[in-house]
Amino acid sequence: MVGLSSGEKQFIQGGIAQDLRCDGRKRLTYRPIYVETGVIPQANGSARIRMGATDVIASVKAELGKPSSLQPDKGKVFIHIDCSPTAEPAFEGRGGEELSAELSVALQCCLLGGKSGAGAAIDLSSLVVVEGKNCWDLYIDGLVVSSDGNLLDALGAAIKAALSNTGIPRVQVTADASSDEQPEVDISDEEFLQFDTSAVPVIVTLTKVGRHYIVDATSEEESQMSSAVSISVNRQGHICGITKRGGAGLDPSIILDMISVAKHVSEQLLNKLDSEIAAAEAEVEDDES
Amino acid sequence: MEYVSPEGLRLDGRRPMEMRQIRAEIGAVAKADGSAVFEMGNTKVIAAVYGPREVQNKSQLIGDQALVRCEYSMANFSTGDRRRKQKGDRRSTEISLVIRQTMEACIMTHLMPRSQIDIYVQVLQADGGTRCACINAATLALADAGIPMRDLVTSCSAGYLNSTPLLDLNYVEDSAGGPDVTVGILPKLDKVTLFQMDSKLPIDILDNVMQLAIEGCKAVANYIREILLENTKELEYRRGV
Amino acid sequence: MLHNKSFVKKTKAGKVMKQVREHYLRDDIYCGAPFCKVCDTSAARLSDSASTVLVLDTNVVLNQIDLLENPAIDDVVVLSIVLEEVKNKNMAVYNRIRAICSNSLRKFFVFSNEYHRDTYVKEMSGETKNDRNDRAIRVATQWYQSHLGDAVKVLLITNDKENKRKATEEGIRAETVESYVKSLARSDLLDLVVRPSSEDVDMEEVEDLRPSKRKVIYTEHKPMSEITSGLHRGIYHQGKLRVNRYNPFEAYVGSESIGDEITIYGRTNMNRAFDGDIVAVELLPQDQWREEKSLSIACDEDEDEDEDVHLAPSSADDAPRTIPQQGSIGETNPISSRPSGCVVGIIKRNWHSYCGSLEPMPMPAGSGGVAHALFVSKDRRIPKIRIQTRQLENLLDKRIIVAVDSWDRQSRYPSGHYVRTIGEIGDRDTESEVVLIENDINSRPFSSQVLACLPPLPWSVSSVDLTNPIRQDLRNLRVFSVDPPGCRDIDDALHCTALPNGNFEVGVHIADVTNFVHPGTPLDEEAAQRGTSVYLVERRIDMLPKPLTEDICSLRADVERLAFSVIWEMTPEADILSTKYTKSVIKSSAALSYVEAQARMDDSRLMDPVTTDLRNMNSLAKKMRLRRIEKGALTLASAEVKFQIDTETHDPLDIGMYQIREANQMVEEFMLAANVSVAEQILRSFPSCSLLRRHPTPTREMLEPLLRTAAVIGLHLDVTSSKALADSLDHAVGDDPYFNKLIRILATRCMTQAVYFCSGDLSPPEYHHYGLAAPLYTHFTSPIRRYADVIVHRLLAASLGIFKLPPIFRDRPQLTSISDNLNYRHRNAQMAGRASVELHTLIYFRNRPTDTEARIVKIRSNGFIVFVPKYGIEGPVYLIPRTEKGGGEWYVDEQQQKIKKMDGSLSYSILQPVTIHMEVVEPQPHRPKLQLTLI
Repeated sequence: MVGLSSGEKQFIQGGIAQDLRCDGRKRLTYRPIYVETGVIPQANGSARIRMGATDVIASVKAELGKPSSLQPDKGKVFIHIDCSPTAEPAFEGRGGEELSAELSVALQCCLLGGKSGAGAAIDLSSLVVVEGKNCWDLYIDGLVVSSDGNLLDALGAAIKAALSNTGIPRVQVTADASSDEQPEVDISDEEFLQFDTSAVPVIVTLTKVGRHYIVDATSEEESQMSSAVSISVNRQGHICGITKRGGAGLDPSIILDMISVAKHVSEQLLNKLDSEIAAAEAEVEDDES
Repeated sequence: MEYVSPEGLRLDGRRPMEMRQIRAEIGAVAKADGSAVFEMGNTKVIAAVYGPREVQNKSQLIGDQALVRCEYSMANFSTGDRRRKQKGDRRSTEISLVIRQTMEACIMTHLMPRSQIDIYVQVLQADGGTRCACINAATLALADAGIPMRDLVTSCSAGYLNSTPLLDLNYVEDSAGGPDVTVGILPKLDKVTLFQMDSKLPIDILDNVMQLAIEGCKAVANYIREILLENTKELEYRRGV
Repeated sequence: MLHNKSFVKKTKAGKVMKQVREHYLRDDIYCGAPFCKVCDTSAARLSDSASTVLVLDTNVVLNQIDLLENPAIDDVVVLSIVLEEVKNKNMAVYNRIRAICSNSLRKFFVFSNEYHRDTYVKEMSGETKNDRNDRAIRVATQWYQSHLGDAVKVLLITNDKENKRKATEEGIRAETVESYVKSLARSDLLDLVVRPSSEDVDMEEVEDLRPSKRKVIYTEHKPMSEITSGLHRGIYHQGKLRVNRYNPFEAYVGSESIGDEITIYGRTNMNRAFDGDIVAVELLPQDQWREEKSLSIACDEDEDEDEDVHLAPSSADDAPRTIPQQGSIGETNPISSRPSGCVVGIIKRNWHSYCGSLEPMPMPAGSGGVAHALFVSKDRRIPKIRIQTRQLENLLDKRIIVAVDSWDRQSRYPSGHYVRTIGEIGDRDTESEVVLIENDINSRPFSSQVLACLPPLPWSVSSVDLTNPIRQDLRNLRVFSVDPPGCRDIDDALHCTALPNGNFEVGVHIADVTNFVHPGTPLDEEAAQRGTSVYLVERRIDMLPKPLTEDICSLRADVERLAFSVIWEMTPEADILSTKYTKSVIKSSAALSYVEAQARMDDSRLMDPVTTDLRNMNSLAKKMRLRRIEKGALTLASAEVKFQIDTETHDPLDIGMYQIREANQMVEEFMLAANVSVAEQILRSFPSCSLLRRHPTPTREMLEPLLRTAAVIGLHLDVTSSKALADSLDHAVGDDPYFNKLIRILATRCMTQAVYFCSGDLSPPEYHHYGLAAPLYTHFTSPIRRYADVIVHRLLAASLGIFKLPPIFRDRPQLTSISDNLNYRHRNAQMAGRASVELHTLIYFRNRPTDTEARIVKIRSNGFIVFVPKYGIEGPVYLIPRTEKGGGEWYVDEQQQKIKKMDGSLSYSILQPVTIHMEVVEPQPHRPKLQLTLI
């Protein structure tokens, strides 16, 4: 709940119109991003992203599972987001469920591709251990600890960082897999598979306030939006998924315009994020040695 | 199972009377009125305090004192096995209640009538002693929110395994099935406000174990005071006082 | 300093979990050298003037524990990583090394290298766990060297070639066990050194003297991963291998996966498994399943083993394994339906050390003093063991202990090493010692800490005891005891007073041992460990020190003693009206022997009060007994023998059957009643932590041998319930007076023994005692010689609110382990007692060849097994000389259980009396045995 006076509202809208937002940013500038990886040692990979007062944690846990009979050559990925009441008293009890569901679905559609798993940002076939028998199931859990707008972008970035932090134990299949039963697997303690996260897209949410759209809106700015479009873009500049939120309709041409802007912004964001992740990973290694 | 080696070392290398490494940080949630992170070894919790503010549900309004509420939740990834944590299960309801009662006892609620204080604790990682860590985090968050309190409340657990009293059990020790005594104290007033124990323990041994837990609480209190002092100094510095 | 360790764990459900544990590294772990200037030396264990400090590699601890137990090895640092590895690999060795480390006479120091800031090593990528641990050992060794400085030589002892090489490269002094022991110039220690198997460092002198033997004899064991997956897929079956005590070439593996026992025939199929090993078994194709081969008396393959004369078994636990035949008797089945299999891998070894002697052999001519010899264990289930020795001459006529080290595919026998000598073969003391060692009986004198727990002597009942409100003064009662002659540890006494209302007050008074043995004291712990007193023919090994056993606790005549009493009011019909339990003070008026008590009751002229009491009690006891039998209690029988021992030489003078009199039965009856009453009382108060005793109902399979024998002689036995069995046993009367007893003996040996258990571990229907036909039973009446009774005394006292229940009773797993230990000790004590009787039988017959009557109890293809009632022994009689294989003159009629001569001139059938000749022969020097031949 953001309670604003009409003067404040006008101030926000006016600032956006003049390309000078309340915190001094331009319309297409992000807040500084802080990345911390390995924050949850019990998980296979984890990361915490802070953008201003928005603070989210993503963790990746890998479990051995069975591929679905429809896609025997693919592993499975599940994304689930929780909103902690620490972020907003409104999330208390079941209060956060609606937003959690919305965020989960949006992330699924940006990262996991279609129902068949085709077009997913994560290479699902790399998760298969024995075709049709064994695969890794990745459980991606996001937690919103503190919220000040733009949760989707932050969560997308946190998941990307968590995935690059993820090591999956190397698995050796001991028994011959020809029989009908589940093969026995041996799990190595020492060796880990690293993920190739270069194909994992970032999410850029363009929030339309008045006639203009901005990136990385704070919750005060979000309260003034008419609609928002989240576009996930990968390193190649390909669009991986789009979701639109908000009630107001958009002119199709504006959507196309937004996409091209998002593509442009995503490049900067990816570079920024990649260098932050690399720095965070280096720090983790420093700590360990 | 040998939880304390004949050389007097526990499985993680601590001696029986040693606590895990503790770490605290004030102001983790920018938008809350007060917040803190508290770590005891691999147990890590965040507490956020909202209030005192208008009572949201008018029917709960209390005319002569503040309404204190608390919600405890665990992140899906907080335990070794990933489980969908249902909100409001019996265990979290019970812990919420314990934390609320413990904190309510030290907040000077009569100074803030007709208002509401919400304490939210979120477990990021659980490795034994989450209850204690939550209380310690909540104390810090309340202090950070500037809510008047009679004293700090600090908490620590102790157990009894292999005929040895052990301070601050971690998850492995906690799941050994021995007694687990959780104590919360008001350090300045030297009063016990929280006392819980599961499993059986002879009374003469309970005394030792409880004393040990109280010593642990005192150590936590000293650390918390230090953190608060440091935080205040920093605030002073920022304000240019 | 904090460090997080993480590892991956597979849960039971096949899930993979990442586990993270904190790991604190410290700077307050000290080196244990008293001369160290830097460290805190209060807990130092090494010697003041240590010039050499040894650091042991894991393989050294695992393989050379016998050497380490020798006091010549000292100033040793045991690293925590080594202990951890040893613990994971072999719990028995771990306990032994821990015992050395905590022994204050030895200078072994445990260094917690894994928690020391400077010696903790992190796993490097690509490094296996083993390599990492080896590196940790080297790092710790290096740390010691630099920490202690040049004045002290720090030596890494390892038999791992790779580790030794790396150590030398890193500038660490390292030696193999053998070269170190050699440097000590103690040739006797060299025998204790275990020769390494091929992958370790080559030691000199390992070249095999018999190249012809280097061919592969056994199939390779499957790798562990294959075994696990095989078990998972149901191809292999896991279980504990049990070798037939009477035929070492036959073993059984109880498999849960097929819900049946798998039989394994021959050493090839056993594939190097020992008795007690946990093995993985693969079933053979069904057409290879063999019919019971034990039909002939032993001897299989090329080894020369034979069945010895032994004491007749008294329960199914002692009896040779008989495989229950499937299908009804008489149904002929060309292919056995019992699965047989072969061992494909050994999951857990049960190797320990064994008592025995060397196979006689000529002294080898000049092989540098080192001789290869074959060791034959007393325990026939154990194969011969190859050892190397430098003292062959010394050992040939000795009983020695040997430990097993390895068994590779190329050798027929496992290899082991000499541990110590017990004494000369055939010497009674040596052989008795062997009996004790084999049955794991602690016969050492009580330690000073234990003796310190005793009350000062002379002890007498004090006024404090008399005024204690929990104790009732029963000194006015006419209490007396009835025991075997010469009994000095009297733990029970009785009284019987006629009440004015015509009823009787009957009391059972048991020595109040728990008044002196307090929980948690060294005395208590020692008694709990020993579990029971052990009665050998010529000596008794006490559970409690002598002053308690024979004086303070013993309810002797004419002295005041403390007791725990159970007092009933009974009608003249022996119905119990009320039961009272109390601690008491009594003064026994007479300590009678069974013979005396019997004589008094029988002598109608005697009318003294004690005799009257005896008669009253006897009439009550008879009624109680009758009622018990009506309920289905079995009157079982076993052939117990008694020796008369020469007080000077301790040699047996005479041997005969133990006679049971009415007086015995009378005392027994009241003890049973007291035990039952106490069992009810303690279970009422402590339903989940009472110690009870149960006797499992024998299954039909167990009774099969009895039924088969009975069927042949035309006797019908109904085994549907204990009552039915008791009745049909009563009706089994033949022409000769001994027939009934014989059938009872055969029935008894089909049953397992009663066992102790913790009431929380089983459900009430399982508490049943089959033999006594009692729903509840426990042991209360002999606390001086059984620890179970001590526990029950404590439970009873707590149930009366007199004392608090000791904390141990709150710990169920520990209580279970106590009852397991009691069962183990109890069983061992019985085995030792039997072995001692066997030994004395042999000594007795050494100069007394005897002719006597015997009964045929089992028919074999080359003879039969006879039972000699007079001496309680059982053994084979051969009709066909054992050297001749399958002489065709005799054939066995299995249905009739007869062995007949081909021409029909002679036949022997089961239970038939025969006259035999008994004589001690010595086929090999120092190996006397009793031989039975038909006259």
